[in-house]
Amino acid sequence: MKTKKAQMKIQQMAFMLIAVTLFFVFVGLFVLVIQFSNLKESSSVLEEKNALLLVTKIANSPEFSCGGAFGGGRISCIDSDKVMILRENINKYEGFWGVENIEIRKIYPLSEYLECTGANYPNCSIIRLKQSNIGEEHSNFVSLCRKESVGGNIEDKCELAKLIIAYE
Amino acid sequence: MNKMKKNNKGQEEMVGFALIIVVVSVILLIFLAFSLRNGEKESVESYEVDSFIQSFLQYTTDCRDNLEALSIQDAIFSCNNNEICIDGRNSCDVLNSTLSEILKESWPVGAERPVKGYDLIINSDNKSVIDIKEGQETANSKGSIQPFSRGGSQIDIIFTAYYE
Repeated sequence: MKTKKAQMKIQQMAFMLIAVTLFFVFVGLFVLVIQFSNLKESSSVLEEKNALLLVTKIANSPEFSCGGAFGGGRISCIDSDKVMILRENINKYEGFWGVENIEIRKIYPLSEYLECTGANYPNCSIIRLKQSNIGEEHSNFVSLCRKESVGGNIEDKCELAKLIIAYE
Repeated sequence: MNKMKKNNKGQEEMVGFALIIVVVSVILLIFLAFSLRNGEKESVESYEVDSFIQSFLQYTTDCRDNLEALSIQDAIFSCNNNEICIDGRNSCDVLNSTLSEILKESWPVGAERPVKGYDLIINSDNKSVIDIKEGQETANSKGSIQPFSRGGSQIDIIFTAYYE
């Protein structure tokens, strides 16, 4: 009789232990699921940040940036005259930025959808440096500046554009 | 007597189990509070909005002074000083219309678009100079503040874009 009671107690204890272990396993799983979902979210946010930072890095590289030509140290400012020259020599920069596609699209003022060439510049809206269908597109806002002759004087003219890149 | 002892033991076990549940719940709540706080921080900073503000400040408007065409940044100070353009237009009107157009083209708002609304506020010494709102405010937003000063005036540019 006593052995039976002890067996019952052991059984009770075993059930209790299993229940508590299962409870903690479920809680652990719940915590893990939440953490992994956050991880996925933060990885996509990080990826987006990296892409935007790469766009900004390219915009501020010496080949693109306004430098001191437009007075002061401008950030996210692209010298379009410089980029048009770069466009002619883009083959020399193969693999330099590690991107598959680079283009600058004017946003404002609105103009006709027209790719820039030596003949129609600056009355155009897209400067295409590298073209490819590979990779995901990322873009960021930049200021697209050039020198313009107004009534015989040379003035700075800055427009709003987006620098678009694509990489694998 | 035996029954009393059995009852007491059962109660003790129940209290123990309840304690475990309470402790685990508290840990879960703390964890949830931390993860929610991190999410809030993430939605506030945005490189895209930062670059947008930096870029539109350099945009050349069609408002000219005696020397040259003013950039948006110069036009903000001109508007703050109640100055007029060389063609007689109010610099604040030019600033308002140019910024409205820039915002409309840069952050298209619509039901089928990811951006549901935006709000651009330009304050000078905590006094509102420009406030352009479009669309609706949602809980998911990206924003940035750009402060700068000139001639003793402190200008704050606050832009927030609302997503679905």
